[in-house]
Amino acid sequence: MSESLVEQGAVTQMDDEPIIFCQNVNKWFGEFHVLRDVSLEVMPQEVVVILGPSGSGKSTFIRCINRLEEHQEGQIIVDGMELTHDVRNIAAIRREIGMVFQQFNLFPHKTVLENITLGPMKVRHWPRDKAEAKAQELLNRVGIPEQAAKYPGQLSGGQQQRVAIARALAMEPKIMLFDEPTSALDPEMIKEVLDVMKELARSGMTMLVVTHEMGFAREVADRVIFFDHGRIVEQGTPDYFFEEAQHERTKLFLSQIL
Amino acid sequence: MTTSKNQQHNIVYFEEPPTKAPPLLAVGALAWIRDNLFSSWLDTLLTFLGLAFIITVITSFLQWSINQANWFAVIFNVRQFMVGRLESQAEWRIWLLVLIVAFAGGLAWAAWSSRISRSVIIVTVFVLALMFLAPQFIGSAIPLPDSHLVAGNQGIQAGSLTQVAQDQIAFIAKTGDIVTFRIADEVATDDETLAQLFSFSDNVANTLRNAAATSLSTQARMDEINVLLAGEDLTDRQRVNLENELGRIEQPQVITETYSINRLPVNLRILDGATLEPLVETILQPEGDTFSFTLPNDGWFVVEKTITEGEGLAILQTTGIFPILQRSFTRSEELDAGGEVVSEAGRVDQFVRMTDNFVLEAPQPQNNGTAISYSTIIEFKYRGERPLLDYLSLFLGPFLQMLNTPLLILVIAGGLGYVAGLSADTLFSPEEKPHRASQRAATWLLIATPALMFILVAGVGNILPLTDPRRWGGLLLTMMLTVVGIIGSFPIGVLLALGRRSSLPAVKLVCTLYIELVRGVPFISVLFMGALLLPLTNPALSEVPGAYRAMIATIIFSAAYLAENVRGGLQSIPPGQEEAAKAIGLNGLQTILYITLPQALRAVIPALVGMFIGLFKDTSLVAIVGLIDLTGITNSVVAQTEFLGDRRETFLFISIIYFVFSYVMSYVSRRIEASGAGAAMAKRI
Repeated sequence: MSESLVEQGAVTQMDDEPIIFCQNVNKWFGEFHVLRDVSLEVMPQEVVVILGPSGSGKSTFIRCINRLEEHQEGQIIVDGMELTHDVRNIAAIRREIGMVFQQFNLFPHKTVLENITLGPMKVRHWPRDKAEAKAQELLNRVGIPEQAAKYPGQLSGGQQQRVAIARALAMEPKIMLFDEPTSALDPEMIKEVLDVMKELARSGMTMLVVTHEMGFAREVADRVIFFDHGRIVEQGTPDYFFEEAQHERTKLFLSQIL
Repeated sequence: MTTSKNQQHNIVYFEEPPTKAPPLLAVGALAWIRDNLFSSWLDTLLTFLGLAFIITVITSFLQWSINQANWFAVIFNVRQFMVGRLESQAEWRIWLLVLIVAFAGGLAWAAWSSRISRSVIIVTVFVLALMFLAPQFIGSAIPLPDSHLVAGNQGIQAGSLTQVAQDQIAFIAKTGDIVTFRIADEVATDDETLAQLFSFSDNVANTLRNAAATSLSTQARMDEINVLLAGEDLTDRQRVNLENELGRIEQPQVITETYSINRLPVNLRILDGATLEPLVETILQPEGDTFSFTLPNDGWFVVEKTITEGEGLAILQTTGIFPILQRSFTRSEELDAGGEVVSEAGRVDQFVRMTDNFVLEAPQPQNNGTAISYSTIIEFKYRGERPLLDYLSLFLGPFLQMLNTPLLILVIAGGLGYVAGLSADTLFSPEEKPHRASQRAATWLLIATPALMFILVAGVGNILPLTDPRRWGGLLLTMMLTVVGIIGSFPIGVLLALGRRSSLPAVKLVCTLYIELVRGVPFISVLFMGALLLPLTNPALSEVPGAYRAMIATIIFSAAYLAENVRGGLQSIPPGQEEAAKAIGLNGLQTILYITLPQALRAVIPALVGMFIGLFKDTSLVAIVGLIDLTGITNSVVAQTEFLGDRRETFLFISIIYFVFSYVMSYVSRRIEASGAGAAMAKRI
């Protein structure tokens, strides 16, 4: 893709239209107001890192984007389609969005190859040959081509998370959501996952990443968003965010983790 | 040299310690014994107690099995135990089914198990060879036990009855069989030897033996009292009691004297059973030689033994005459390939010689219109404790003989399946999946087997004549109920489990109600409902054979339990699985089919197989609603006059059958658990 644009490090704007458009999104868990008037626009090929203390609603927010959680007020539009109760819309949007979970959530009863080919074959109705060729290509890309025939339980955590990334990419999504992808990993394995994510970001994928990896945010993000108590407190470029943050809450957060 | 604290904290170990072998007593059999059997004094005590218990149980069982058990009850009813009263024309279908199952087993072994090791082959060949050679060896090296029958004209007092020896006894024999007779002087030299007459003997010989034993014990008591009375240690009261007892005892007879046993010559004739023409005639003298005669043809013969000069009895030791069992059944007309009638329809009387299963279909000999009684198993029973050699020649030899050919055929069928699986793999399987061809073939065959079973057993339309479900019995019926129960309840149970987790309240309510209702009722009531209550609702239902009604009851019952097991499995799947499935775009049905259900079922394999084993054994309850499954057959076997009360033998036999099948199920389930993703899934991510 247009690497020159990405290399400039600026917010890339291929289209004028944002690919994710959220306006005044509200959500409650029972009485608890977990998302409060969250509004966000994400442009194609943009890498957005979401930071925040635990319980601040950042995971809930990105899970709303592919409807794993249902928002109760406001508007979420993904790639021109609005998320409503319409099942066909939900299915169409999920086809455009890949997701990587903190706990990997690989299917333990299927081999690595079957994990990756399941979606393309059942949802996109690809023939087996095409799906398997794509899966092999993705395994090469995430650096574990030799693990195709193994079961997830036989892999290390870092390898499993890379398979999970390959599984999400196999659907050829326009957007990738990462929900704390390195939080469940041993320190020795975090780097191998981050490297894959960096490569993905460089290739021009639109990414929304919830993480505590400040180094990653600083290096890769086009924009950093800080969540607290269900709302966006502050956002900006990494340089701005890490050096010149204005809000007291942001400063407190940064002082505690850096 | 002194080291400061700082120096103590910073140490680098550049040298690696060497890897050593463990100490001698830490590994190996000795270490295992020490660690597991004798690790503490309590452990040691328990080991010895357990050992003593096991040894006691095994020895007392062996003693009973060898010396007393009447295994004829099992050997003679094997067909009943296996298929009940199934039409004999349909028997080949059962054999075909068994062969298919064995073939499928071999194929599955090739597909999912490791290669058959050399030791397994060696053991199999060894066992088979033993099963073929042992009966031959036993047959040639160990003679069948002698029998003792009584001839003579003197009545024997047995309580208030008088027993008289029969002059004529019928028996069956093959061409070339040799019968021998001699007067058994050694068994009746005095009452002591007579009381030790343990063998096949007729009722009269048995009465004599019992009389001798009673007489001896009476005499012993009298002697004992006389010794006590001669002594000085008794109180007056004891003395009076003993004198009274002595007065009540009649002077015992010496049995050998009273009946002048073995004192007179016996006239012996052997007659042809059909014509009653004498074939040979002789006079046996006391202390005389053995008389032997070779029988000229297959058929009935009559031995006539009489004492004409004077009054007395003689105990004859004979060989070649063995108990006979009568089987009667109706046979429908049999045609050969050309349409010629091979045998007419009608009632058939078969006579089976117990020692070697020789079968004769000729009518029993008649004397002036009265049937000559033959040596039946009741009259000709083995009396007393059986020595090991007689156990071998009577039971073990014939039993192995009966089993060896079917077993060989099964092993060959299984072996063919295994070879077929291996060759399919070498020919058709791709390199990265070396077992794909055999696994596909085995899967299809195993899926088809229950259907094949039903078709072969029940029959279809004009191609395979229908069998009468009322005649299904024994292991066949038990397996039909189990297999149909499992196959039928599986989809229903899974749907109920999914329904109970459904978000639609109506579906959830119906499924929950069904599950709780059925689980709240014992299986036996469900069976009774099928057998007795359903026909009340619609008279046409009483036309449905009991076997089918029992199958439906089994399905209804086990579906509820299966549903709860599957629901447990579904609940054990982490919610992340469903989320991941949604995230890659699978819809609800696809998520259930490809993600949650396979994992849930795999997680509950142990529970499911436990349930199936329970179901297999619970089918024995159908005996109560009048079906003759394996348990029901046993009740009818021990009701036969010949085997009246041989419950221990028959129930032990069916227990072994139940155990073998249950164990196979449990073994297969363990293999399935460990197969494929199972090994990797043991560590859940």
